[in-house]
Amino acid sequence: MIVCLAVVGHENNPLYIQSFTESDDALKLHHIVHCSLDVIDERVNNPKKSSPTINEAFLGLLYPTENYKVYGYLTNTKVKFILVTTDLDIRDADVRNFFRKFHAAYVDAVSNPFHVPGKRITSRTFGERVSTIVKSFGLSSAS
Amino acid sequence: MVREVSESCVESLLAEIVLSYCSGFYANKPELAARRIEAIGFQVGHQLSERYTMDRPRFTDNLEAIKFICKDFWSELFKKQIDNLKTNHRGTFVLQDNRFRWLAHMSIDPSVQASGNIQDPSAMAENKSAQATGMHLYFPCGIIRGALSNLGIECAVSADISNLPACSFVIRIKA
Amino acid sequence: MATFLPQFQSIKSSFAHIVLSVEDVSDLWPTIKKGFEERLPFKRASLNNKTRNPVLVDELPAEFILTTDARLRSRFPQEQSLFWFREPYATIVLVTCEDLDEFKNILKPRLKLIVQNDEREWFIVYVSKAPAHNDQATKMAKKVYAKLEVDFSSKKRERCCKLDIHGPDPNFWEDLEAKIMECIRNTLDRRIQFYEEEIRKLSEQRFMPVWNFCNFFILKESLAFMFEIAHLHEDALREYDELELCYLETVNMAGKQKDFGGVEKGDDQATLLDSGKKALAQIVQDDSFREFEFRQYLFACQAKLLFKLKRPFEVASRGYSFIISFSGALALRESMLPFCMREVWVITACLALIAATVSNYEDGLAAPDVEKEFYRVQGELHTLCHTKFMRLGHLVGYGSDIERSPVNSASLSMLPWPKPAVWPPLPPDASSEVLAKEKMILQESPRLKHFGIQRKPLPLEPSVLLREANRRRASLSAGNMSDLFDGRPSSGDGDSSGTPSAVQKVSNVSMSRTLSSPGNFDGSIDRPMRLAEIFVAAEHALRNTISDADLWKSLSSVEEFEQKYLDLSKGAANNYHRSWWKRHGVVLDGEIAAVHHKHENYDLAANLYEKVCALYAGEGWENLLAEVLPNLAECQKILNDQAGYLSSCVKLLSLDKGLFLPKERQAFQSEVVRLAHSEMEHPVPLDVSSLITFSSNQGPPLELCDGDPGTLTVALWSGFPDDITLESLSVMLTATNSTDEGAKAIKSSEAIVLRPGRNNITVSLPPQKPGSYVLGALTGQIGQLRFRSHSFSKGGPVDTDDFMSFEKPTRPVLKVARPRSLVDLAAAVSSALLMNETQWVGIIVKPINYSLKDAVLHIDTGPGLSIAEKHEIEIEKHEFGANNTGLDNPPDNHSPVSADVKQLSLEDGKINLPDWTSNITSVLWIPLKAISHGLAEGTPAGTVPQRQSIVDGLRTIALRLDFGVSHNQTFEKTVAVHFTDPFHVTTRVADKCSDGTLLLQVILQSQVKASLTISDAWLDLQDGFAHTGKGDGRPVSKFFPLIVSSKSRAGILFSICVVDTPAKDEGKELDPISILNIRYTISGDRNLGAHSPVTKELTGPENETDPLTFRSALILQRPVLDPCFAVGFLPLPSNGLRVGQLVTMNWRVERLKDSGKDVDSDDLDEVLYEVNVNSENWMVAGRKRGYTSLSTKQGSRIVISILCLPLIAGYVRPPQLGLPDVDKANISCNPPGPHLVCVLPPAFSSSYCVPAA
Repeated sequence: MIVCLAVVGHENNPLYIQSFTESDDALKLHHIVHCSLDVIDERVNNPKKSSPTINEAFLGLLYPTENYKVYGYLTNTKVKFILVTTDLDIRDADVRNFFRKFHAAYVDAVSNPFHVPGKRITSRTFGERVSTIVKSFGLSSAS
Repeated sequence: MVREVSESCVESLLAEIVLSYCSGFYANKPELAARRIEAIGFQVGHQLSERYTMDRPRFTDNLEAIKFICKDFWSELFKKQIDNLKTNHRGTFVLQDNRFRWLAHMSIDPSVQASGNIQDPSAMAENKSAQATGMHLYFPCGIIRGALSNLGIECAVSADISNLPACSFVIRIKA
Repeated sequence: MATFLPQFQSIKSSFAHIVLSVEDVSDLWPTIKKGFEERLPFKRASLNNKTRNPVLVDELPAEFILTTDARLRSRFPQEQSLFWFREPYATIVLVTCEDLDEFKNILKPRLKLIVQNDEREWFIVYVSKAPAHNDQATKMAKKVYAKLEVDFSSKKRERCCKLDIHGPDPNFWEDLEAKIMECIRNTLDRRIQFYEEEIRKLSEQRFMPVWNFCNFFILKESLAFMFEIAHLHEDALREYDELELCYLETVNMAGKQKDFGGVEKGDDQATLLDSGKKALAQIVQDDSFREFEFRQYLFACQAKLLFKLKRPFEVASRGYSFIISFSGALALRESMLPFCMREVWVITACLALIAATVSNYEDGLAAPDVEKEFYRVQGELHTLCHTKFMRLGHLVGYGSDIERSPVNSASLSMLPWPKPAVWPPLPPDASSEVLAKEKMILQESPRLKHFGIQRKPLPLEPSVLLREANRRRASLSAGNMSDLFDGRPSSGDGDSSGTPSAVQKVSNVSMSRTLSSPGNFDGSIDRPMRLAEIFVAAEHALRNTISDADLWKSLSSVEEFEQKYLDLSKGAANNYHRSWWKRHGVVLDGEIAAVHHKHENYDLAANLYEKVCALYAGEGWENLLAEVLPNLAECQKILNDQAGYLSSCVKLLSLDKGLFLPKERQAFQSEVVRLAHSEMEHPVPLDVSSLITFSSNQGPPLELCDGDPGTLTVALWSGFPDDITLESLSVMLTATNSTDEGAKAIKSSEAIVLRPGRNNITVSLPPQKPGSYVLGALTGQIGQLRFRSHSFSKGGPVDTDDFMSFEKPTRPVLKVARPRSLVDLAAAVSSALLMNETQWVGIIVKPINYSLKDAVLHIDTGPGLSIAEKHEIEIEKHEFGANNTGLDNPPDNHSPVSADVKQLSLEDGKINLPDWTSNITSVLWIPLKAISHGLAEGTPAGTVPQRQSIVDGLRTIALRLDFGVSHNQTFEKTVAVHFTDPFHVTTRVADKCSDGTLLLQVILQSQVKASLTISDAWLDLQDGFAHTGKGDGRPVSKFFPLIVSSKSRAGILFSICVVDTPAKDEGKELDPISILNIRYTISGDRNLGAHSPVTKELTGPENETDPLTFRSALILQRPVLDPCFAVGFLPLPSNGLRVGQLVTMNWRVERLKDSGKDVDSDDLDEVLYEVNVNSENWMVAGRKRGYTSLSTKQGSRIVISILCLPLIAGYVRPPQLGLPDVDKANISCNPPGPHLVCVLPPAFSSSYCVPAA
């Protein structure tokens, strides 16, 4: 299940963090997201990790820990999407697909003329759209 | 889904913007009006770049980004690509559009075209029509600057309309 | 084949190098042994690796062993194939022989015998003992050696070499080594081939039932070992990798249920780094190995090779992933492993791996990025260890000591509890321990944060331990655990299983009392355990699991636990700091800080906290910042770091409001205020940019005229939760256009109370330089505390171009105009006023869109002008705007004197203008009287009118207007007013009657724009004239009142006659001038000009009271009675005059009678003549004045001619010739009076053309 979904700006500032757990301990998710920025930085400005997909937006699995996984996605405008999930068997294809949908949602959100770039995303419609995407993701990965 | 707007609408909107800023809000302060128009363009470009770079690999260097502007971005905006791209390889790029659509329906007294560089206030002072056209060019300049800055490239963009309807945009990347 | 395992391992451990067998045929070894062994290890060996590529190996160790040695006893072949790697790689045959026959007969057959089996690689070393000087011997030796070569060397391979003991030639040793190398290489190649062949055979039957992993393993490892002793570590490593791969594929194939292992004592300590920990024989299991030990064994072998390859970083990274995957494997078997086996194993594994890699690692060993990676993995290992260790600590009841930080919560709360098959039962006689734990539980209390911040503590448990534990107990089914308590210390002991909660409450108390009595701790199986019991049970279980004394020690007490916890955190942090993962490091610093904090080394804690806060604040992760910042603040407070504390409080206040409760934010504010008003030894300037923001108000900027003060209103947004009092506040203004002067501070006068949210502050503005200003910074004072704020308000209007950066305000808030005229003063009337009468002089006061509020007008009348003090000054609204000068307004649209005429009084030359005039153009009517002494003079008609009369009619009024908001503006102007007489009088003799009566015509030219009504006029004649018929000097005909309208003229006739003047000798001075008196009244509009004078009681201009008197002097000439001279104006040329054409004017001067004076003088007389001419009409070319000679005889005549140039077309008076020396009475002129000549307009393009007047 997707535990948390975050958008981080190009100055590594949180633009949107949504946790999908029922318990109200979102802070630890903040921490996980924030720390996973380390990995993204490493992937991006460390040519050693160069691979054919170096410039692909989808960064793949950032964190293999025992109990959760963190996936990353870096747009051309240096905006990071970070996905924390607890189901450990999960196909990259699904995540890639998920991120693409999410990216579309994000673009629509920031294209809102009332959205100030670099500020938190507060649009409710965005939130609803995200939650639907998340639900659909649960289904796709389950199937 | 792809949403489109009528080109004529965009053109008249642009004309309206320029009109209301130049002769409305900031009638006697052209430089302020210019800044505002450019700022609007900046925001537009900022958001468009977000959309149009959506499913493409990240750019590795400035040139790639500029090429993106020339090809895909431009054809998204104007259904045509930039016709000519020149660079001095030291951060200055010249993008020439041989028939810039937003100037297509604009006519300029041929006698004053020669000095139509909108970055040159003296020239603007001496002929009004070039100034008017220049005002219309702040918007696309802003769009380019916004798009590039969203891609992490801080730059200054100016336009040169010395021979209409061709229009060339000069991008100077801040080192 | 598995039976060979022990042997195999012993051989492996005993043999670590290549063996070279020495066949000592003729007992030479003892003598040359030393020389040979000096060559070892071989400096440089070139071998072929598995892929037949040459590899250079340095320092290849080897050993010479005599073939007679016990270690080379022959074995049965099948065994050999296994242990072939230990067989000699070369056989060196040592021979010597001085005698050919002996060689042929004895030595040669024997050698043949030795070298016959060709599997061995061999060569012969011929040792010649022959001393160098003994030619005989050496010759013989040479012979024998030659023979030897012939017999044993082939052309394809050279198998002999020769050593002279007495004269060793240098290149022997190279020769020897080369041969040895050749042998080793060949042997190696052959054996590799052999092993590969064997392995291939085995792996073909890999998926058949006969497959036996042990055989495969022994072969594989033999090969690997052979590579290893040949120092071909890469190949060896590859073999092990393949082996591992194969094992993982085969070990748990479906069907075979294998014993995993790891249940023996000491298994909890990871052996992933020493392969010899357990004999392979112990872990073998029917045809394979137990996974637990074997995988560690394989990793150990790989690690060893990697270390030999100087790749410790690879060990680390491989090791980390190995631990992760292996811990997964442990998790699968958790139910059959000892309690917490997995956690313990991971901890020990990490620690071992860290120790080994670090000890094998020296800096600069690898490329920088590899190095960073290495440190990252170190950090990861520490963290993993850390997490597991915390979990253990949690199980034995140290949970309350673990900082409930996001980090720990993230790592623990998603990490499931250990899932043993059966939760360890409470051992008997543990009552005291349970009591101890109980006490610990009861003592523990959540450390409440500074500022009384209370948060629901972050979870460290994946689920309630109590429930988990009890669910896994043998007798209890999971069903009735559902309503157990969640083991909070507060709701202490969840006991009675499944009873309704009401009953539970009761039984709670009772139970807890009874249970705390000894004897009840029989570990009864059917009663759910309480938390304390679980702790104790877990502790005992762990004691059984953990064999590592150190680890156990660090779990034995809270202090030890914390120590270990701290070490691990530090280790992780330091390593992360040296890797790419800075954030991880900093965050862990936060954990360390928390421990320091708890143990009250506040300065350490503060330093670390600051780093963390800086990180979070820098990237704007406010939620996380809100967790740490209060701790930092507390430390700073305790350390009495007031500056830091203040800024922390301000930061706290400026965080997102949602993050703290109102009362918490109020606490922050009260702290700030308290400090601000306390005596800080060194007060600090505080930056509240994040907290107090400001912006100009909407709408246009405040516009001021130059030099005017003003008040500026600024909008302040206060982020404080409550009102806050600012002792002072000042706003910086920065000029946009001029760079020279930077910011001006504008103080707000009094203390200000800022409400939360938006405040409007008005500050008073001193006069500013012209230019436009924007808001700069905001500074102020709270108590002793000086603060400043730079940030332009986000709450303010978001300009489209500022949407990227709110920081710099671009909208000007103040515009100070350049100096301009703000008011104008002008005379209301341009036309002349009456001289010598009190007249209203209107002054138009015209503000130029600027308020004249309480302006003061200073009036200073010039010479010849005086203010009629006794009269009120009137002011009224000016009707006709700016362009009203009485001239060009037709009288009909004059307003009747408007109702709103107000009286003002003048005190010492100052008038305060009333407020209602402050924004309108108004007229000020000042009663003035112009005095001119001396009479107006009439002129004979035709003579040139005196211009100067206008000039001396001018009077000036100096006006100064003080106005402006604070009378800072002044405007000075001198207004000229023109006064004049009502009439200009000209006279002419209209007719001369035969009886000598003269008709004197007096022409009155009105000079004012008003209608004059002449009621009476009389003429007081000078001596020599008299009124005819005893008249009283009144005109001939009485038709008064005579009304002279503006600018028109009227004529009056007097009839006078000449009378003889009384003789001069009667000494009375005779009156030279006659005076015309006129009584008249004037009716005029003061808006236009002259009007009836102001009288004492205010009168409207219309009323017709007391007529005025006007006197004018006239000079009458007596007609010529006894002419001596006659001056005649000779007619002009007939073609007339034309402008621009020279014309000669001629006069004939004739002497009518002798000048009967001095006869004796010669008869010539000089006559002075003068031409007086109106220079506007004529230009005179010749001499105007001069003497001409004229004889004194009667009748002598002369013609004076002057060249003149007419300038103006029309009827003009010609120049006139006068004789100044001669009394006018003695000259008879012809024509007698002034006459006119006609001048034609100029011919075109005349250069003399001047515009007509």
